[in-house]
Formats: sequence, C-alpha cells, structure tokens
Amino acid sequence: MLQSLITHSTTQKISLLESNFWITLLTSSPSFKMPQRSPEFSGSVKLKYVKLGYQYLVNHFLTFLLVPVIAGILLELIRLGPDEIATLWKSLQFDFIQILCSSYLIIFISTLYFVSRPRPVYLVDYACYKPPVTCRVPFSCFMEHSRLILSTEPKSVEFQMRILERSGLGEETCLPPAIHYIPPAPSMEAARKEAEMVIFSAVDTLFKKTGLEAKDVDILIVNCSLFSPTPSLTAMVINKYKMRGDIKSFNLSGMGCSAGMISINLARDLLQSYPNSIAVVVSTEIITPNYYQGKERSMLLPNCLFRMGGAAIFLSNRRSDSIRAKYRLLHVVRTHKGADDKAYRCVFEEEDPEGKSGISLSKDLMAIAGEALKSNITTIGPLVLPASEQLLFLISLMGRKFFNPKWKPYIPDFKQAFDHFCIHAGGRAVIDELQKNLQLSAEHVEASRMTLHRFGNTSSSSLWYELSYIEAKGRMRKGNRVWQIAFGSGFKCNSAVWKCIKSIEIPTDGPWSDCIDRYPVDIPEVVKL
Amino acid sequence: MMAEVKSSRVKVPSLLTVVSSKPTAPGRVHKFTALDHAMGFHTGHIVFYYRRNPIRDGASMENDLDNLRISLSELLCLYPPVTGRLGRGADGNWEVKCNDAGVRMLKANVCATLDEWLRYANAAEERDLTVWEDLPDDPHIWSPFRIQINDFNCGGLAVAISFTHMHADFTSATLLIKSWAEIHRHEPVAHPPIFNLPSVINESAAYRRSSSMFSETNSEFEIPSVRMGRATFKFSEAKIRQCLSKVHESCPDATPFDVLAALFWSKITRLKSPACDDDNKCSLSMCIDLRKRERDSIPYGYFGNALHFSKLSVNAEELQSDRLAYIAGLVHQHVGSIRDEEFWANVAWLESHKKEGGQYPPPFQLFGCELTCLSMENTISSEGSFTYAAMFKQNEKPIHVSYHIGNVGGEGLILVMPSPEEGLARIVMVTLPEEQIVKLCEDQTILGLQPSMLLNGKQ
Repeated sequence: MLQSLITHSTTQKISLLESNFWITLLTSSPSFKMPQRSPEFSGSVKLKYVKLGYQYLVNHFLTFLLVPVIAGILLELIRLGPDEIATLWKSLQFDFIQILCSSYLIIFISTLYFVSRPRPVYLVDYACYKPPVTCRVPFSCFMEHSRLILSTEPKSVEFQMRILERSGLGEETCLPPAIHYIPPAPSMEAARKEAEMVIFSAVDTLFKKTGLEAKDVDILIVNCSLFSPTPSLTAMVINKYKMRGDIKSFNLSGMGCSAGMISINLARDLLQSYPNSIAVVVSTEIITPNYYQGKERSMLLPNCLFRMGGAAIFLSNRRSDSIRAKYRLLHVVRTHKGADDKAYRCVFEEEDPEGKSGISLSKDLMAIAGEALKSNITTIGPLVLPASEQLLFLISLMGRKFFNPKWKPYIPDFKQAFDHFCIHAGGRAVIDELQKNLQLSAEHVEASRMTLHRFGNTSSSSLWYELSYIEAKGRMRKGNRVWQIAFGSGFKCNSAVWKCIKSIEIPTDGPWSDCIDRYPVDIPEVVKL
Repeated sequence: MMAEVKSSRVKVPSLLTVVSSKPTAPGRVHKFTALDHAMGFHTGHIVFYYRRNPIRDGASMENDLDNLRISLSELLCLYPPVTGRLGRGADGNWEVKCNDAGVRMLKANVCATLDEWLRYANAAEERDLTVWEDLPDDPHIWSPFRIQINDFNCGGLAVAISFTHMHADFTSATLLIKSWAEIHRHEPVAHPPIFNLPSVINESAAYRRSSSMFSETNSEFEIPSVRMGRATFKFSEAKIRQCLSKVHESCPDATPFDVLAALFWSKITRLKSPACDDDNKCSLSMCIDLRKRERDSIPYGYFGNALHFSKLSVNAEELQSDRLAYIAGLVHQHVGSIRDEEFWANVAWLESHKKEGGQYPPPFQLFGCELTCLSMENTISSEGSFTYAAMFKQNEKPIHVSYHIGNVGGEGLILVMPSPEEGLARIVMVTLPEEQIVKLCEDQTILGLQPSMLLNGKQ
C-alpha cells in the first residue's frame, strides 16, 4: 500500500521515511496482523458452550456454594421439628444484657457501613454542542484554503491531503468562523467568541433539557486545554448565567484530550465532600487560537483532525435526582506515564524554526499509547471484570511467571464487563489499535468511528458525542455498563465506567437527531480527493 | 488623472469561503454547452444596492456576515455547479467538477454614503465593489463565483456578485440572488435552477446553416486601446410613455427597449468615425435573452447562457435622419422575428465547428466587437422585474441595480435594464470610449427626456 502511495505521489520528492511514518501512524496499526481463524465450526461451538458454562460457574460461585448449605440447614430444621428447635433455643441461655449489646453492636456496625459508603454520583443528563452549518468544512474547501495559504509549500499541502484522505473524517465536520478566512484570523476576540458560542450553546441546551437553574449549581468545572484567558472560561460562564457567589469553580487547562475524564474525577471527589450538591462539567476545545500557520509536517496534523465541539454534563449526588438520572458513575481510573521522558515529550507544544507555535506529535505516539492503555487496563481490570476472567488472567499470569514464560498472555475479555465502549476519537489509528488490542467487534467501535466521521476529533468532548450516538441508535438499556477511554498529552490514559440506571428513549434532539438515519456509513480506507 | 491618484474608497478587510449547508453528492460533473464556451471571454458583474442593511435587524447571529451566510449556504444546496471548480474534461472542453468547494465571499467597507455614491462615484470606483478577475490558466482552486458584501457609512448595503460568463448570464445570476433573498425571507424559491437545456439539438437540415453570427464575429480579442467610460441614464416612466406615444403612430407595439435602443443607436453612431462601414450600412448587434419567449422554450430557471446574438443593419442616412419612430419600428420587427430555431441553429454551427477530439472552438468577443445592445425585457412583466424582486427583507426593494460586462470591445455596449420605478421606466447603461461618453451625455435629445444621471463621477 505504501509503495503504491509513493508511486502515485506528485513529482515533488517527499522524504520517503517521513511520509511513510506519518501515514502509517495515522492509518494502520504497526504491530498487529489480523489473527488467522480456521477452526472447525462444530469444534468452536462446543468450545463456546464450555466457556459459557465455566463463566457461569465461576461468576456465581458463591451462589453455588451457599445454596446447598442453606438447603442442608433447612432440611435439618424440618427434621428436628418445632419442639426440638424451641428446646435448642432455651438451652442457649441468652440474658437480656447480652441481647441488647449484640443488637447495639449490629446496629453500630451497619450504621458505620452505610455512612462510610461513598456517595453515589449520578449523571442526570448531558448536552453536546451542534455547530451551525455555516461552519462546515468539506475536504475540497479545506484543501483549497491550504493551497492558497501555503502556496509556497506544495510538499506540506500534499502531506495534508494525504492525511485528510485517510483520516476517517467526513464532509460535515466544522471549524470555527475565524478559521474560514483566507488567511485565518485567529485573534483573542475570535477565540473568546468561539468559546462563548460553544459553551453557552451547550449549557443552554443542558439547562433546557433538565430544567436546571443556574442558581442551583454548586460546582462548576470547565476544561479546555489550549485556550486559557484571564478571567477564566469558568468565570465567563458564571458571569453569563449569574451563578451564585459561593459556587466552587475550577478551570482545567493544558491537560489534553483526556481532561474530560479528569474533570469527571474532580467532580466526583468534590461531590463526596459536599452533600446534596449539583456539579456542571463543561468539556470543550477551542480551536481558533491554535490553528498552526506554519509548514512543519509534524505540526500540521492537528489542523487536519481537530474540529469544533463541546459538551456540558450535569452531575449530582442528591437522592431526588437518582430517579431521573440516566447513569451512575462506578469507577474512574487515571494513569499517568509522565515519569517517562519519551511519554512526556510525545505530544508537545513548541515553536517551529520560524517561530510559529503548534503541537508536534512524536513518532512513538502509538507505542506509548499502547503502554498507557495497558497500565489503565491492569488497574481497571480487577474492578470491573467478572470473577471468571480474573481467574483466567491470574492462572495465565502465574503460569507465565512460574512455569513457562512463553505462554501467550491472556487478554481478558472486556466485552464481558461492558456493553458499550466509547473510545476517544483521536484518529483512525487509535480506534483501530484499541479495537485490535481489546478484541472488539465493529459494532463496539462504531460509535467512535461514526463520531470521528461526523464531528472529527473534538478532543475531550468526543466521548460525549459517542455516548449520544449509542443513545440515538436506541442501543442503551437499563443495566448496561459503558466504558469511556481517553488519551491525552502527558501522556495520560484516563477512563470512566458508567452504569445506565434508567431506560433511555431515543432522543428527538441532540447532535445526531438530523443525521442518525444515515449512520452507520461505510468509511473507505482512502477518500479520493 | 485625478482618479488614479485618489485611493479607492472601498476597503476590503476580509475574504472567506461559503459552502452549502448539505454536502454535494460526489462525482457530479456539469458540462458547459457550446454557447457557454463561446461566451467564455467575458465576465458578468451585478451590484444590488439597498438603502437599509436588510440583514442587521432581527437577525439570529451577531455578525452580519453570518446571517447572510446561513441563507446563502441553504441556497448553495440548490446550485452544485456554482460551488464547484472549473477544469478541462477529457475532450478538452470546460466543465465544472461539483466538488463542494464553495464560493468566495468578501466583506468590504465603503467610505461614503449610499446617495453620495450613487451620484458621484464613477465606473472605476464601482468596479471595486465587485471582484474583476479573468479566468486563470489553472482554475482548480479559483472560485468562479465571487460575492462581495459592501457596507456603506450610512448603513446602506451593496450585494455584488461576479462570475465568468461561461457559467451564467445576467438572468441566471439575477435569479440566483433573487432566490437567495427568497430563502432569506423564508419563502419558497420561485425559480429553482435547471441545469440542462430542455431540448436536444435537432440535426435536421432546417437547423443547419452555412453561416451564423459567430462566423462573422471577430474571434481575435481586442482589448480597447482607448479608455472606456460609462454613463448611466435613468429614465422615468412618464418620459418613456411620452416617447412611446410619439412612436406608437407608426409602431403601436413598440416597447421601451425598442425606442431606447433606437435612440441610443442613432446618437452613438453619429459620434463614431467612421460612422458606418463600406456599404454605407450601420449595424447594431442585438443580444436577446431567449427564455420563455415562446410557449415551450427555455424556462426562466435555466442556469447558463440562453442569449441570442443577431445583427440589425440599416442605411446610414436613415439612422442619422432622426426618424426615431422608424428606427424603433425596425428594432421591434427584428426582435419580434427572432425565433428559438435561430438559437438552435447557432448552437448547431458551434457544434459543427468542433476541433478534432470534440473540443469546442475558442470563445468570441461578442460584446463590443461592434456596437452591441442587450435587452432584458423578458424578465420584466406587469408585476415587476426579477431584478427588483430581490428583496432580502419584505417590501424592501433594491434602490438601484448595476449590470456590468467585463472585457467589452472598443465599439461599446448599450444595456437596457429594468428600473426600480417599474412599469415602463428603464435604466440605460452605456459603455463607450471616454470622449464619446462625454459627448453623449451632452446630447440634447437624450437630455430632453430628463434622465437622472447615476454613477457618473464627480461633475
């Protein structure tokens, strides 16, 4: 495939190694080949039943243990007869004080247990920003602007075209108004306007959907990695909606695409400290000030992939909200690889030789992402996997350690633990890599791929667009568990697990309402431009 | 000389691209007809002037440009060939690859009030209100349609569109702006565009002609060596009616176009030297829009060139004899006798003159190679004209609309355009070498009709 690419390329010479690398980085996973499957059909069916039986046995082990014991006791009691039971009871010689003390002890222990349980955190509802159609950027328009602006750098233009062709994006992704100008006009005022447009629209929709009033919000968290004005975006929201003076506000900047999960974690911790509170989390990425205007190829990539988007989420720990809440937060797991130098420099904002600042992506990105994912999985596995998978993993681990290091490591089947997966739509390669690593089917990653196609890489808010997709398709059922995974600069891998606690009807509004019927679409490997 | 030293009052701070609100289906290609190719040398420019900015009040977005862009994006869904890019097809002919690339939009500020501008701005300044670019050699990233929004100091607005004449003629472009205005008012589009001509060229002998307008037209491009000037005469309905009443004795069906064309033709010919050609005949090249002239003819919505060029010749003495009624009668008879078959015959001639491999002949200089007169009568009806129906806000008509053709030859061009006054009133825009314009503006017969002079530069 790469060979044909090079032969089809223009007469200008592009450094072979460099273009090879970038295209591979974004389009295919370098480490995996598709496993060859050739078992006999009947053999595989028998294996499936064996597996099912094993899982059922191990997962309900306690039940299997207790049921015979209880049955035994009951039979014994029936055999003894009521008189014998009465004499048995009298012989125990309980006196009043002992009974009182024991009951106090029981009450004390149960109170301690209930009080020290963490408060449940409910996700009542969320709203995603839908950009106006005037911000739409079709491929031809993007390439034309690129050619007009970088008219002296045809190599860079060709590079951008290759990336765009293989990116997995569609023709309806949006860039903010300031970037539509020739040349782009990224002033601070334009950035503020974009922030207002995205954040206020998402928060307005959220308030309307849930009936929440601004004065009831106790905690406000806004995360936007690359735009951090003074006063902060949090202050901007508080000013617009006239929120209370004692609101606890936090503005997270610089934390990359996984900042959405960090905000959720922060909200959860705060909701543990403050009883009966409401938290609003706003996740977005403001593109206007960060549109790279130079010609370094490693820095042109974000221009091709990052698009406008934002989401506002309503979290609560109030008992009254538990009735109407859609999801409950089960776990948040954060993994940071920053101690490793290579991971730290993997996604780095710096100035190019001409002094133009942009975000450069290193060549080790996929490898480091894989490592970060492994750490995260290792931590989250024991929390969510059923006993059957954990046992198998333990056996495989012990076997590799003590018996034969050459045994294949057992990759736990996360499909047992979760019904839906929301993988950050960072790029086609990220989704491909995770699909192979976690052995997910096409339907599991459909939400991620379709979000990348329709909205592009909207950074921290992409997980919410994906969740919205699953709901819009009517696939979310009560009791389903969702796993949201995000990667970000640092290098971080953060994930959250939600459980659906209410049956969700297909929404009539929302970012997918006018186009969900067209999805899923078949996204070709290479779009001909 | 003064005009050259003075810097333009029009400042263009920004340029962007507007795309349609829904993506175009990929792979669509719009091929140009033979006539479109023949018109390829010229460009068209239309400026709509509005007294009050129609997009500022009651708008959903803060930025003016964004309000217009929403309705424009919706309009562009109906016009995939407008948002595409030009390129040469396999047979060497021009075609549009409908690749969804969008139209360019420019925002400009004008340091003048609308009234001041309409009275004193000259043709050169009005050029700044639109984009004047010729078809480049490699147009794959060049937008064939460019829209410029000009803000005046007093709050007035001028919406200008410029395009290659290969793509569209005045009627198509006017209907595009009118449809945009209808969408902006949330009304249904009265004339949705049609991109294919209704009938197929009939190969029967009746349509084959040994010669046509094109064979006689000079295909050498003549950039005029003298400076061209422009004058705009606005005639009121009363005066036209007066003029028509004089003509109606000999020609009862004369239209305002007939009488104005006759008047200007005779006056301009007098200013030329030599006034006529060797056989003592003076000719006028007539350009008529053929839409809807007959029952089954080309519909109004056809987006492309539906113009017919023909020549009217008359003896020099008759022309210069001041017998306006007679000349008007000749014009009327000539225009009335044009049938659709002649249009198809011209097209057949062009088709028969294709080069090896199917490439159409190169474009002709159809305007101005000899004195040309263009009529838009078929877009004017008793309910008004298409031009002045382009209202972005209910009941707010444009106060003036200017039409320009680019690359006009040195013999000049007479455009008889609709007027905001409607009815029989007309606006005549004349492009001639500068010294002839000056003399024309002093002609007593024309001044006797008391026209108001617009856009004539500081007097």
